[in-house]
Amino acid sequence: MEEQNLTASAIISFSEQLEDRSAAFYEELAARFAEHKATFLGFAEGSQKNKVWVTRTYQETISDALEACFCFEGLPLSDYKIEPSLAKNAGYADALASALELEERAIRFYRDVAQRSESLLATIPGAFRRVAKKRSGRKLKLESLEKAAGSGS
Amino acid sequence: MAILDEPIKEVLELKNYVDGEWVASEGEVKDVVNPANGKVLAKVPISTKEEIDAAVEAAKEAFPDWRRTPPLARARCLFRLKELMEENFEELSRIQTMEHGKTIDESRGETRRGIENVEVATGIPTLMLGYNLEDIAAGIDEYLIRQPLGVFGIIGPYNFPFMVPLWFAPYAVATGNCIVLKPSSEDPISQIKIAELAEEAGVPPGVWNVVNGGRTVVSGMLEHPDIKGVCFVGSTPVGRDVIFTRCGETGKTVIAQCGAKNFILVMPDAELQRTIAACMTSFFGNTGQRCLSGANLVIVGEGLSDSDYKVFYQQVVDAFVDAASKIRIGYGLDEAIQMGPMRDQAKKESVLGYIEKGIAEGAKLALDGRTPEIIGDWPDTCFIGPSVFEDVTPEMTIGREEIFGPVASVMKARTLNEAIEMIHSNPFGNAASIFTASGKWAREFQYRVECGNIGINVGIAAPMAFFPFSGMRDSFFGTLHGQGQEIVRFFTESKVVIQRWF
Repeated sequence: MEEQNLTASAIISFSEQLEDRSAAFYEELAARFAEHKATFLGFAEGSQKNKVWVTRTYQETISDALEACFCFEGLPLSDYKIEPSLAKNAGYADALASALELEERAIRFYRDVAQRSESLLATIPGAFRRVAKKRSGRKLKLESLEKAAGSGS
Repeated sequence: MAILDEPIKEVLELKNYVDGEWVASEGEVKDVVNPANGKVLAKVPISTKEEIDAAVEAAKEAFPDWRRTPPLARARCLFRLKELMEENFEELSRIQTMEHGKTIDESRGETRRGIENVEVATGIPTLMLGYNLEDIAAGIDEYLIRQPLGVFGIIGPYNFPFMVPLWFAPYAVATGNCIVLKPSSEDPISQIKIAELAEEAGVPPGVWNVVNGGRTVVSGMLEHPDIKGVCFVGSTPVGRDVIFTRCGETGKTVIAQCGAKNFILVMPDAELQRTIAACMTSFFGNTGQRCLSGANLVIVGEGLSDSDYKVFYQQVVDAFVDAASKIRIGYGLDEAIQMGPMRDQAKKESVLGYIEKGIAEGAKLALDGRTPEIIGDWPDTCFIGPSVFEDVTPEMTIGREEIFGPVASVMKARTLNEAIEMIHSNPFGNAASIFTASGKWAREFQYRVECGNIGINVGIAAPMAFFPFSGMRDSFFGTLHGQGQEIVRFFTESKVVIQRWF
């Protein structure tokens, strides 16, 4: 896997894409699985909030003094990339499995960029950690849904 | 990596903004060129004396009503301007990259710093308060009020086309003055966009005027009897010998923030990894076109034996050169890029000339940035990579003069005292930084160094909007500085009232 040194701008763009794709995926799940519509729509809404939170933190914190020439070193960006899609005949269990993979990659991404931005103003790694935490909460919820589906309840 | 969408799609025909109207100039027209790809972005007029005179007249006429507008109402215009800037944050940032060449991260940082000045100026009802004392003598009270003066001229530099005029403009307007602003003719688009937003924010006609141009506009400001003061950021020869001198002769107040040759000291106890990262920003950020850029890297051997100093010196140089050699160069709208081109070819040629001088005077070129690898298919017209010289002394041309490009000169000093003497042997006094874990060394540095902006484990000592942007010796001419409380004092006269009622 190719590791890259990425500018702050590239990381923010990646985060925006990740959240947009996540939101679109969960909207699709909400449309397909009506009994869990509220949960999935909540996840989609959460992704839009994550996007706003990260972008706003970046735009309000970035300064020429601290971040020119800064780069996030050694990130295996392709490893975090998600192209979540569901086959037409995919069932609920497949959907949950895809969602869990998406969340795991996203959590890893946010934790890694938080760790690599420790030298910046605390608000920047703080914003990434906050999203990682929210995504972790979402993962727990998905796991409980998976468990419930497995037990037939 | 994706190249971000360019907000300027066709060649703009720039106009002056005078008395709330967009007015075509009769002066000759100059191209504004994107230094990364050579494309013409706009046609900017070089306005005539009559046109600057008309703008001053409009500002003068607007002044009586504007000064009577309550400070809170003036502040509301600035709140709206701030909100419009936030809404247009990305477009404003990309325009800076297109017209100047800096990377998109740098442009966004510049946008933020500019907005912060508007934000601070919205506090004018508090910032402008006077003070009073009753019974200074029996039954007599005394109080101080701050009053605006009239019309001010603002002359912007090319290196921060968005931010620098905002060190002054929002405070001038907030305090009840009117402005005539001349952006750099090299990259004037940002200031045109800001004027459009000021108009949308409801700043009344004549309060905020923009006149494009060059020397004629500057002379027009300096000679005009109705201009009460001038704010200038640019080179020392112009700031000292033209702006400061002529303002003195014509009785204008003046802020002339000028050139620099900033020293960055690395002490033996510095946290090396973070120091080097901060140095990359300092020396090569904005392609070195910044008056707060590091220029001379002084590796200090205080407390070390000769052999330990040799090891420490080499460790710092190796890490510095290695990091600089990895900086990716290209078009600033490419998100992979860490350093953009110089603003134009002449500036690149000037930097190349300094590199030749450094070699000729015996400095060792440890990293040669003259023919950089450029990411993307862009003409090399304005591109230059980071260069690092070793064995530089403060007397050499490259150790003494402001290069204003991505060239670092590494110097040796055995003690902190020797390093401070090096700083003081240079006529500039804009900024200086020290990297150390020692509070004692940091305090001594802060106490003794005669530079206006001091960094302690900070590579770019850039004051926030609520502090003055300082400067000393040949880096500053005037008394009060831009930003913060000092600029509020600059734009107002203190009137003292002594009151007794019979």
